[in-house]
Amino acid sequence: MKILACKMTLLVSVSLLAGAIDAQPNRAGQPQNFDNVELHLIPVQGNVYLLMGAGGNMTVQVGSDGVLLVDTMFAPLAPRIAAEIKKLSPLPIRYIIDTHVHGDHVGGNEALARMGAPGASQTDTGGATIIAHENVVNRMTKPAAAGQTPPPTPGLPNDEYFTRTKDLYFNGEPIFVIHEPNAHTDGDSIVLFRRSDTISTGDIFTPERYPFLDLERGGSVQGELDALNHIIHLTVPAHLQEGGTRVIPGHGRLCDEAEVVEYRNMITIVRDRIQAMIKTGMTLEQVKAAKPTLDYDTQYGSGDAFVEAVFKSLGNPPARSRN
Amino acid sequence: MRIARLSAAALLSAAGILAQPPGAPGGPPRAPQTARAAAPVDFTGYWVSPVMEDWRWRMVTPLKGDFASIPINRAAYDFGMAWDPAKDEAAGLQCKSYGAPAIMRVPGRVHMIWQDDNTLTIEADAGTQTRLLHFNSKAPSGEAPSWQGYSEANWERPVRGEGDPRNDFPPIFSTRTGARGKSLEVVTTHLRAGYLRKNGVPYSENTMMEEFYDYRTAPDGTPWFTVTTVVHDPKYLVVPFITSTDFKKRPDAAGWHPTPCSAR
Amino acid sequence: MRVILLLTAMLAWPAFGQVDFTGEWAPAYHEDGPERLPGPELGDYMGIPINDAARARADAYDADRISVVTEYECRPHSADYGMRGLGDLRVTREINPATQELIAFHTYMPAWGSVRTIWMDGRQHPPPYIEHTWQGFSTGVWDGNTLVITTTHLKANYFRRNGIDSSDQRTVTEYWTRHRDYFTVVTHVVDPVMLTEPLVRSQNWTLDPGQKTQRMFCEYQPEVPGAPGAVPNHLPGTNPFLHEVADWYGLPYEATRGGAQTIYPEYKLTMPKPDKAPPEKCERFCVCTVLQDCNLHAVPPR
Repeated sequence: MKILACKMTLLVSVSLLAGAIDAQPNRAGQPQNFDNVELHLIPVQGNVYLLMGAGGNMTVQVGSDGVLLVDTMFAPLAPRIAAEIKKLSPLPIRYIIDTHVHGDHVGGNEALARMGAPGASQTDTGGATIIAHENVVNRMTKPAAAGQTPPPTPGLPNDEYFTRTKDLYFNGEPIFVIHEPNAHTDGDSIVLFRRSDTISTGDIFTPERYPFLDLERGGSVQGELDALNHIIHLTVPAHLQEGGTRVIPGHGRLCDEAEVVEYRNMITIVRDRIQAMIKTGMTLEQVKAAKPTLDYDTQYGSGDAFVEAVFKSLGNPPARSRN
Repeated sequence: MRIARLSAAALLSAAGILAQPPGAPGGPPRAPQTARAAAPVDFTGYWVSPVMEDWRWRMVTPLKGDFASIPINRAAYDFGMAWDPAKDEAAGLQCKSYGAPAIMRVPGRVHMIWQDDNTLTIEADAGTQTRLLHFNSKAPSGEAPSWQGYSEANWERPVRGEGDPRNDFPPIFSTRTGARGKSLEVVTTHLRAGYLRKNGVPYSENTMMEEFYDYRTAPDGTPWFTVTTVVHDPKYLVVPFITSTDFKKRPDAAGWHPTPCSAR
Repeated sequence: MRVILLLTAMLAWPAFGQVDFTGEWAPAYHEDGPERLPGPELGDYMGIPINDAARARADAYDADRISVVTEYECRPHSADYGMRGLGDLRVTREINPATQELIAFHTYMPAWGSVRTIWMDGRQHPPPYIEHTWQGFSTGVWDGNTLVITTTHLKANYFRRNGIDSSDQRTVTEYWTRHRDYFTVVTHVVDPVMLTEPLVRSQNWTLDPGQKTQRMFCEYQPEVPGAPGAVPNHLPGTNPFLHEVADWYGLPYEATRGGAQTIYPEYKLTMPKPDKAPPEKCERFCVCTVLQDCNLHAVPPR
């Protein structure tokens, strides 16, 4: 009976989680065939590596304490991801940090967490500790019934935070998990590896495409700009705007401060234009027809969705999420 | 002894000296090659110069007194400030800015063809000018100055090595080969005084001009050449005036548009 | 037998064509001097085959950006623009001591202390997801007496320092030739984001063994109080400076807007007249060949 209850709980929870993940927009475009996905493991600096494949970039930090991951791509890739990690370290995954709620960043949570072992905080389900802002947990689950606590499940963050920052010390370096309110979503975290001098940004920074402002999940253009400006504040180039702090974006190649500056500039300029157009009373259709992203479309693709999100965000800014 | 003989044979065989090429020590004399036969690249055809540099000094007549970029001296400055295109027209000197030191910078097309085996012709549609590049030839005595002067041309030889028969026997510890070039070197003298720029920046009748034509193939396969022009004129320039002009190959004469010289 | 093999191996070294570019090279600003020395006029897009996106971006450019955006204060020239800009140049080479083969050329330019490496050992370029740098990743091969250099992995930079940006997706091919003491570099840039066709420019240096290249120091500091994260820009249609270059130099406004259609000789046949009557004579940067004499107002040479 006990076993059946556990299985039922598991089935319901997995369904909830799967449903929650599937319901989330996947701008990375989930591949039809994961067998064709190439994984690239790139040393960044210090203890930190970048793992690129399908979906969002992953960050891998290794050392004598174990393995820490930032984001987890898609579940079908978990075995191959684990194999890549094994090239770096035989030690278990102890921490997973989710930068935000989207499926291409948290899809592998359950599978990879199961392979791991608890970090500093003991979890009810065993496996790795999964850290995320509480808004990620809120978005991923709904209570089974009013007033009831959602059951703990592998794959769901089990070490959420609600303050501005959370820090931990792992593999010989301080790690800061910093909430960036109402940026890409209302549950964004960036992760600063202080000794390795690397920042994982999640989808706040995606240098090869316009930012996706997920307004339904609390994203906003002002929050996005605040987050980018904060990242620029944290990064320190080694010499003449190059090197120094490395930045791992949510999608795209390894960067440093200079690329974040270009991205921030683009969003600021487009925001300024749309803001000016709103002040003159232009409708969304009129704003789109004015092509406020004309000078950036050849670089980032069609700007229609971005323009619409900025327009709506400026007209209806979200209530700031709790720090 | 046998080892010594084998060593000698190995040396000779590795050096490729067993078959004596023409011009090598002990070999038959080389037949003189014509310039056309010796050409390492083919410059013939139609070429256009896209104006991506010095646009406002080439595509339009610059303002009087706009001498930017040219290393002129005071004499040239005063001369340029006295520029009067009407006077040039009245005197029939419309072609002053189409002389050899300037013509390759005038926006237009050029057509390069072999007039004979040792004379390469450059026809320019701008100003309907024709330059003759003479290989293996010096200026005849008494050559009169002209807008295009007298041009002596050579396929640029490397400083040492390849192409020079005296170096076909490589020494033991290094190979003396220079770079096999794709460059044409031209020296022009006997120039009539003219303008480096249409707004009257002068060059004198004592000008000597060096040019280096470098052939290349762009990443998309299109042939280009760059002509680096060095104008030596101590009368009007404080240092040699160096420019480089890029030409892109055209498949045919489309766009060829001969226009007369203009003083304005 | 060992002696025979050794001697044969020594004599079998392949011949290869190489030109020595090493030395101290002084730039000749005899083309586009005012643009490369004091800097280009706002709105001067002449000669660059920009597309509509690049033009719109340049129109939005506010020159205050390089001081208000603190991170731009020390932004260096990239490999391709570096060849165009302040260009004292030192070229050295790295030889493999075991094989005496050329491994790389290295360049140093005092503008921002830029150091480049051009790999000559046949190595491949890294994959596209590797980080980009200001100087990019360069490899060279010989084509006769010309060194053909391919550079990828460049950061976004500029084609002209008045807002005409270059993207991080560009590829630069350079052609280096040396004729006696003259060094010519042709840069052939393909940029699918900003250009409709390749931008081809050529630069010249003369050998100057006595040249002493300088060090450059740069530390960025906020110098102008203002809102954090501000990025000075002109809203569409509001840039008041775009007609200046046409008016100052007596040019048709359309021509100053750049684009491939304006760079071919046939454009002269259809070029409109200037909107305003040209000045009687040059009034800006009329004498400009070296930095010391490149003044805003005409200064006759001594």
